[in-house]
Amino acid sequence: MEPNKEEQQQQQVAAQKAEFDPSEIEYVIYGGEHHLPLIMNLVDQELSEPYSIFTYRYFVYLWPNLSFLAFHRGKCVGTVVCKMGEHRTTYRGYIAMLVVINSYRGRGIATELVTRSIKVMMESGCEEVTLEAEVTNKGALALYGRLGFIRAKRLFRYYLNGVDAFRLKLLFPIPEINPVLSMIAESDEIHTHDQIPQQEGQDLQQGSG
Amino acid sequence: MDQSGAEDAAIHRHPPEHSSIPSGENSVWSDVSPLLEAACRELRDGELIHGDNFNLFAAMSALEIMDPKMDSGIVCKYYSIDEAVENGVAPVPISSDKTIDVQSTIDIMDHLLACEATWHNGHSLAQTVFSCIYLLRPDRTSSHAILHSYCRVIRATCKAVVSVVSDARTHEEEDLFTMAYGLPLHGHGDEKCLSMLNAVEETIYRQLRACKATSSKKRVSEDIEPLQHNLDLEEGFCKALLCRIRFRKHFFHVLTCMRRPQGRGLELARKHIASCMSELECILNSAEFIRLGAFGTCEDGVEDRTTASGRAPIGFDASLNSRSSAPTPPRAIKILSWEKAVQYFLKLLHDLDIVCSYSLDPSLEGVLRFVVQFQKSKPDLIARAHLQLLLVQDGKLYGRDPIFAVITKAAALPEVTKNHDIQKNEYIVQLGQLVINMLKILCTNAAWQRRKLGKILQDWRVIYVQLEIALRNEFGSVSSISDDENICVKIFKHILNWVEEQTYWIASRYLILGFELDLYSPNEYCMVYWYMYVVLIKLAEKTHLRIAVSSGTAKKKGKKKKDSPKEVAKESRIPLPVLFLQCHLCLAEGLSMMLAALRNELMVLQSPSPFNTEHERFIQHFELLQKACVPDNISYLSFKESTTYTRFSTLVMYNYFKNAQRIAKEIKSSFSDDPDRLAEVRRLEQVAEHNGVALNVICRVGALDPSLKVPDFLIPKNSNLSLSLSLSLSLHFSSRIL
Repeated sequence: MEPNKEEQQQQQVAAQKAEFDPSEIEYVIYGGEHHLPLIMNLVDQELSEPYSIFTYRYFVYLWPNLSFLAFHRGKCVGTVVCKMGEHRTTYRGYIAMLVVINSYRGRGIATELVTRSIKVMMESGCEEVTLEAEVTNKGALALYGRLGFIRAKRLFRYYLNGVDAFRLKLLFPIPEINPVLSMIAESDEIHTHDQIPQQEGQDLQQGSG
Repeated sequence: MDQSGAEDAAIHRHPPEHSSIPSGENSVWSDVSPLLEAACRELRDGELIHGDNFNLFAAMSALEIMDPKMDSGIVCKYYSIDEAVENGVAPVPISSDKTIDVQSTIDIMDHLLACEATWHNGHSLAQTVFSCIYLLRPDRTSSHAILHSYCRVIRATCKAVVSVVSDARTHEEEDLFTMAYGLPLHGHGDEKCLSMLNAVEETIYRQLRACKATSSKKRVSEDIEPLQHNLDLEEGFCKALLCRIRFRKHFFHVLTCMRRPQGRGLELARKHIASCMSELECILNSAEFIRLGAFGTCEDGVEDRTTASGRAPIGFDASLNSRSSAPTPPRAIKILSWEKAVQYFLKLLHDLDIVCSYSLDPSLEGVLRFVVQFQKSKPDLIARAHLQLLLVQDGKLYGRDPIFAVITKAAALPEVTKNHDIQKNEYIVQLGQLVINMLKILCTNAAWQRRKLGKILQDWRVIYVQLEIALRNEFGSVSSISDDENICVKIFKHILNWVEEQTYWIASRYLILGFELDLYSPNEYCMVYWYMYVVLIKLAEKTHLRIAVSSGTAKKKGKKKKDSPKEVAKESRIPLPVLFLQCHLCLAEGLSMMLAALRNELMVLQSPSPFNTEHERFIQHFELLQKACVPDNISYLSFKESTTYTRFSTLVMYNYFKNAQRIAKEIKSSFSDDPDRLAEVRRLEQVAEHNGVALNVICRVGALDPSLKVPDFLIPKNSNLSLSLSLSLSLHFSSRIL
């Protein structure tokens, strides 16, 4: 699955940045079928991989709590689509798509969107979060780096355009072995639940879309 | 909805009146169309039919018909090759005008070269080389000798290349490469391609001689029909064809020679490689002539053209195979430009030449060094596959040296050991498998290689433990038996030490590859260099032990002769390979400590993140090493212990960089006959010197102004960061402070 390509057209972007105050951006959790066309338009516009409507539905129907949209004055300007489930021996979150339209980039919208998803994953008992990003996508790599993701692997010619990808991974602290951290986490009102929700379609291999 | 009804409908597509399928004993056919129609009416937006084996996940694999991004059928211009042929897409002859026919033939050859290079670079065979309709219908070209023989050799070459890559199985992530379903990779009679090509070459060569003779007004002894009718262009066309045909011939020879067992064809292969390269030069030089003949019909953009002439070639349609190409959505493939393709082949030939010039070093140490050095030039799949097939044949090194013999040599055991019965021990047999597996992995691309090396660390650890247990079970307590009493014990002990040494070598390679693959970010460098340092300590220790023991046995043998004080002094010195490792080790430690001091005193390279800490990043980066206990008793805690209190003052005291520089100076002379290693030591020396200077500057400036804001490290992205190169980063750092 292909993540964002924020840097791709950066030169063009500089000229046409939208004027707005960050407080004007409204973040909304996925609310139903009426959000689907908004997400699809955004992804179709910004990402090259062709996804059928079933791909979107797979994610937003099974994990509506992990998908968020960002609105500016009623216009959808960004979205994040994720999933979570068992992967081998771990319970793992996966960020499938992250898009912010060009003129709204560089203002923390993507960070806010993805942070919201990661928080839900953490609260739902995920041990780690993964995604793939093109090695040339510096914007995305920096964004995820700031959030604590490491570049765990390089995937040779992962995309059909011949570009390599990095598999990025974020490991959450394990409370038992790191009491200091879990205290910090609790003070931030982040809780981990013992109950792991049962989900369908738990194959976390690369959503095949 | 009724699930079974839907399934029946899927099987039974025809209305019953057209159906001739009779009802069987246990089945009755019935029309479900009304049911389906009703179901369709019931389905609302966003609803999906669910079944036991059809859920939302499975639905993702659905392709939307008539969506050009997904429906590979829709982008085809022709439904079949035959239809394309009937439409005159690939005429034979290409033109009734002989001159145009020759020109077009050259265009086809050039475009095929570009396609071939594009294929080698990761695209499907079907959509690159086999987008050529002439290749797809082997019999159609038989009346056109040049095109026919050329198509034959292309098919035969593709087949040879596919076979090398699939035999080597180094293509795990490059599996598109060998996919050739439904392609006529083996045309009837293609095995005779060389004799046909020779005949064509001979004819054109005569035509060239004839036209030269005519132009110099000499009498022509034979009556030879010219290649085409424009006599001014005859010589140029003959030459352009000759170099293209000769290139194919030699390239095919290279591939076959390199496959000969035990490296017996390498010398001959080198000759063909040299010929290939000179023919490629001729091909490049022919471009000027060819372009002159291309009367302004050039495609736009010189950069993108896939032929020397710049014309679009006749007889290609990439969309014909898009349905059979690969299990991916259809995608237009950008064929490499002709010039890039030539450059690609030059690089490939250069890499193959390195493989062919290899001396088949019988020592494993030498093999490993060669492979690592070879990989530095980032050779492509085909060169790597050839190297792997050379190294491992029939379970032996070069198909020649039994693996046990290689191991005993590597473990510094005496020559006689290689025939010892101990090689039948199941764990020793397994160890041999691990060695072969490691050699194969070292020939894969860096990304895959690193992952696999990380995984086999565990295997090496497990075999160590198993060998240790076997030793204890069979021979009791190791300490109670002296070496002389039992040769088996001795062999086991040597091998055990060597297994550990090799394990640490794999670990260090794993860590270094992380730099090459750009997996570490600057705020992780401190822990990476620290881990490198602890691995190198163990590696140096095991290497030292191996060399000490083997020179110890040598000493025993020749005890009577070696008594002069000079000899004793020589033996007490640290052996060269160990010094080399120590030099690396000092640098790694110095860098790790410098980065730690920077963080502790100048507050740079700290990386607070909202969801986790450095501890988690440590666990993730070194997970595979930690799982394999490489090295033992190393954890995040030990990293913190050795870096938390590091100050610049302690760094200056320990003089890591000065030590590294001193060692490098000392060992330089010993590598005077090995340019690669000499260059490496020189680089180490330089890096040590630069970082020594950097450290001094930071100490002085940092002390003067502790509130100094330090900018981030300058990281050259995508550069080939090897250990030593990345070390010099700190120099940038110091210059920016100034």
